[in-house]
Amino acid sequence: MSAPRIKKVCVIGAGTMGAGIAAQVANAGVPVLLLDIVRDPADRNAVAAGAVAKMLKTDPAPFMSKAAAKLVEVGNIEDDLAKVADCDWIVEAIIERLDLKQDLYAKLEAVRRPGTAISSNTSTIPLAKLTEGRSEAFRRDFLITHFFNPPRYMRLLEVVAGPESDPALVAAVSDFADRGLGKAVVRAKDTPGFIANRVGTFWIQAALNAAFDLELTVEEADAIAGRPMGVPKTGIFGLIDLVGIDLMPHLKQSLTSTLPADDPYQAIARTAPLIEKMIADGYTGRKGKGGFYRINREAGKRKEAIDLATGAYRPAATPPSLPGAAGKGDLGALIALPGKFGAYAWAILGPTLSYAASLVPQAADDIVAIDEAMKLGYNWKYGPFELIDRIGATKLVERLAAEGQPVPEILKLAGQRSFYRIEQGRRQYLGLDGDYHDVVRPEGVLLLEDIKAASKPLLKNGSAALWDIGDGVVALEFTGKMNALDGDVMKLIGEAIPLVQKSYKALVVYNEGSNFSAGANLGLALFALNIAAWGEIEKLVSGGQQAYKALKYAPFPVVSAPAGMALGGGCEILLHSDAVQAHAESYIGLVECGVGLVPGWGGCGEMLDRWKKNPALPKGPMPAVAKVFEIISTATVAKSAAEAKELGFLRPADGVTMNRDRLLADAKAKALALVDGYAPPAPPEFRLPGAGGRTALDLAVQGFQARGLATEYDGVVSGLLAEVLTGGDADPVDVLSEQDMLALERKAFMTLVREPRTQARVEHMLETGKPLRN
Amino acid sequence: MTNVVIVGYARSPFHPAGKGALARVRPDDLAAQVVRTLVERTGVKAADIEDIIMGCAFPEGEQGFNVARLVGLLADLPISVGGMTVNRFCGSSMSAIHIAAGQIQIGAGEVFICAGIESMSRVPMMGFNPLPNPELAKRSAAYIGMGDTAENVAAKYQISRAEQEAFAVASQQKAAAAQAAGKLAEEIVPIPTKGGVVDQDGTLRPDTTAEGLAGLKPAFSADGTVTAGTSSPLTDGASAVLVTSEDYARAHGLPILARVKSVAISGCLPEIMGIGPVEASRKAMARAGIAADQIDVVELNEAFASQSLACIRDLGLDPAKVNIDGGAIAIGHPLGATGARIVGKAAALLKREGGRYALATQCIGGGQGIATILEAVE
Repeated sequence: MSAPRIKKVCVIGAGTMGAGIAAQVANAGVPVLLLDIVRDPADRNAVAAGAVAKMLKTDPAPFMSKAAAKLVEVGNIEDDLAKVADCDWIVEAIIERLDLKQDLYAKLEAVRRPGTAISSNTSTIPLAKLTEGRSEAFRRDFLITHFFNPPRYMRLLEVVAGPESDPALVAAVSDFADRGLGKAVVRAKDTPGFIANRVGTFWIQAALNAAFDLELTVEEADAIAGRPMGVPKTGIFGLIDLVGIDLMPHLKQSLTSTLPADDPYQAIARTAPLIEKMIADGYTGRKGKGGFYRINREAGKRKEAIDLATGAYRPAATPPSLPGAAGKGDLGALIALPGKFGAYAWAILGPTLSYAASLVPQAADDIVAIDEAMKLGYNWKYGPFELIDRIGATKLVERLAAEGQPVPEILKLAGQRSFYRIEQGRRQYLGLDGDYHDVVRPEGVLLLEDIKAASKPLLKNGSAALWDIGDGVVALEFTGKMNALDGDVMKLIGEAIPLVQKSYKALVVYNEGSNFSAGANLGLALFALNIAAWGEIEKLVSGGQQAYKALKYAPFPVVSAPAGMALGGGCEILLHSDAVQAHAESYIGLVECGVGLVPGWGGCGEMLDRWKKNPALPKGPMPAVAKVFEIISTATVAKSAAEAKELGFLRPADGVTMNRDRLLADAKAKALALVDGYAPPAPPEFRLPGAGGRTALDLAVQGFQARGLATEYDGVVSGLLAEVLTGGDADPVDVLSEQDMLALERKAFMTLVREPRTQARVEHMLETGKPLRN
Repeated sequence: MTNVVIVGYARSPFHPAGKGALARVRPDDLAAQVVRTLVERTGVKAADIEDIIMGCAFPEGEQGFNVARLVGLLADLPISVGGMTVNRFCGSSMSAIHIAAGQIQIGAGEVFICAGIESMSRVPMMGFNPLPNPELAKRSAAYIGMGDTAENVAAKYQISRAEQEAFAVASQQKAAAAQAAGKLAEEIVPIPTKGGVVDQDGTLRPDTTAEGLAGLKPAFSADGTVTAGTSSPLTDGASAVLVTSEDYARAHGLPILARVKSVAISGCLPEIMGIGPVEASRKAMARAGIAADQIDVVELNEAFASQSLACIRDLGLDPAKVNIDGGAIAIGHPLGATGARIVGKAAALLKREGGRYALATQCIGGGQGIATILEAVE
């Protein structure tokens, strides 16, 4: 039986998870019905409607745009359950009580259309229990889809199919979750906690126990369990503060009650008396009065940490630095450290990695699923088996055996071998059959990581590289620290253009860093301005302008594919591309004014040109100028690709890819679609308002200053921005060229860069990552 | 000399710009409905109307193209009826009445519709293309923001924040009482919209308290005293009065509300434009040969509480006679429509409350005041 395409979804249960799932469905552009119980007979949809209203005020936002929120229809399960007949997928996300879920399923069975997928977002209840008493048809259409919180931002989706689940339907839901919702689907088995929470809870418990047992401070524990292990820098205690300390006993309870008595987790599960006391006293973490860390506002916002022995807060100490290789990410050296630091590292890694290894094939078919789940569900940089490779399976087995700890089969199987290897450019993993198998990407996924493993770059320097990604398309990758843009990037663009023109069809600007690019290399700029190398700085500005315009007018299509932050110069390269294929989670903005500068690589003119062509704006010289001024002077950053379209950073026809792993393939397809009959764009002309328009903008800024919303120096910076956007000395009857606009940008940029207060802003940004409001 | 009389007054409901019930109504359509209803209610013979003179402070976009003429066509008035749009910012539609009075007195017509329109939802204050003269901006406060002028007046005339708030609360209470008593309904023209018929003002905030206002942040200056609660709101609305010669009104049996006794304009410094009504009213009173204590009804546009209080004090007006049914802080201030509203309202109040003279006056951005003295007709 072929499964229907998912055109409408129903989510039942408007708690944090259910509402968040509904929002992500809406973000995908798919209408969604959100139902919850009737709590107030006078306002029957209040629970679901309240959840939507709350989400519109939540930061980080569950919705990618206000338009998405309009795709959510709210209702209640008493009046509206029959509407599920119009839905192709019903997601149950009500509270974790088997009786309530079973009651709901019985009701759903009566009203749903057969063949409609039904899934539960349960994190603890086995599938077999959920479908007890249901018809065969219901069991065929049922599966578990376990989202992580918050559903918009956490990429992992664990999918559990039962023995009777229809494979075509499971595939259809998985495909929608992958392409539509942007999730990385990991298939898990019907075992307690599935994969990520099972390993994650064990890991947290092991780390907590060891910190108490070895009498570490929370700072010491987090310094070892955080970055050195490739875990977010919060470490263990910081992570628990973030998710909520009160969640810990619930996690423990749910796993101890469902796991078999001989599961290793049962032996380590315990709640420290200090944690019980903290919860009772309201110290539940960041959402409560504080947690293992707190900000003491009575002591001038002092950061404090709790003493694990006494429960008293004291000023937070500087985390210890680890010696030698242990501090540089060598896990073998870390666990071999003498004293309690090494003992702590081993007390976490030994049992946790061993436990993870014991879950294949019990909880997952292969090691790749376990690694993926931990990387995407717990933000680990490396999965458990990748961590084992970094220690060496042999070393791990030896030490486990020496300590009399159980050694899982798969570790014995690995022996001297690693769990992953690169063979002829292909990444392979060790299977349970003892052979290596290719890590197979989902159909249609193209990753630069794979291309890089299998080929050599066409061009490369210290800040950028050019790769052949097949079918006549090349990818320009930024490779510098934070993907910062500098003279080398511009140089490589200059070299790439003739190469592509000669031997290829199209170019894609893409990389797999966590951010596309946070903009120009400020550190380099600060160095140059500290030695007053004004000529060098102007060369960097004009070099960037020329490189970006050369890309814009190159005789082949250029498609940029951002994901994460694309700020400043990273945004300007998008503005110069023929088209953009953006990951839905793209954060795009021209933020130069925040560091006391103006966009200097053509961003001002490109944004003006876009807004001039926007038919929604009134005619005349000012509306586009005022709009662009507002966006740039306030350093507005779009918080999604959808918002970037509203702000004009993206064009209406630019593409949005929900799944990060499909971005390159989509961008490549978009570039290839532009190849036939490609002609570079015609240069724009500008008719700008001149001094009169500038006066209007200055008056507006003075109003902000009077209200205390802008500083005196904000006025200086935005005054120079206004100078660029209104055309400098031009008269409204003059026609300005793109080159004129670039000259205006350069002049404003070079004026500001010499200002001490701009220099202070740049320095502050480099030191703190935050803008200075001087 | 030919006497000029006000024989009818009507207005649309006033609603907050952006979020109000009229935000999605085109301003030309809104004004046309008010004009059409005014003609119907007064029973004036449409063919006798010489001209529609319409005030608008930002006559562009949907209220551009000489909107007065278009409103005549939209209202299906005879093709012979002319149309002229005038702009004196907030004084626009009061100027329309003054122009009509002058036309009547030089024998250039006997019947005029003097109207005003402003959709502050659909045409922003400052218009779509503000292009101030840079040199003038340097040497004068010609382009100063209105809120800043309210702060200046508050400082210069020592109007405390508490006084402003007490004034705003009183305005809200008077308007709420008038609305509850049905005293506003007779002047309002119900407007059909996609969301249903709108027949009540949406601007009133009857729950306003001094304590509530005291908690608001200054709206224009970090250390200022003027807040959103003591300012008139951005408003959508239209208004119209029928102005004729007294002879025409009597000959055709039209119900005269009041006679136009005198009018005046006076410039003042742009940075304290809110004080404009003082000199304009003094000139108008001098022309009418009356003193402030002879005035029984005052409609003083409440652009801001600070300037209203400063004008009331400087002119020596009796606060009990000012804005009996509430003022713009409660009812709203659709810039181009306010002048016709307060002249029409003053005329109607003179009839309702009794008394001999009424004053309608307002301040004007850029530094002006405008005033009209009305006289009861026996």
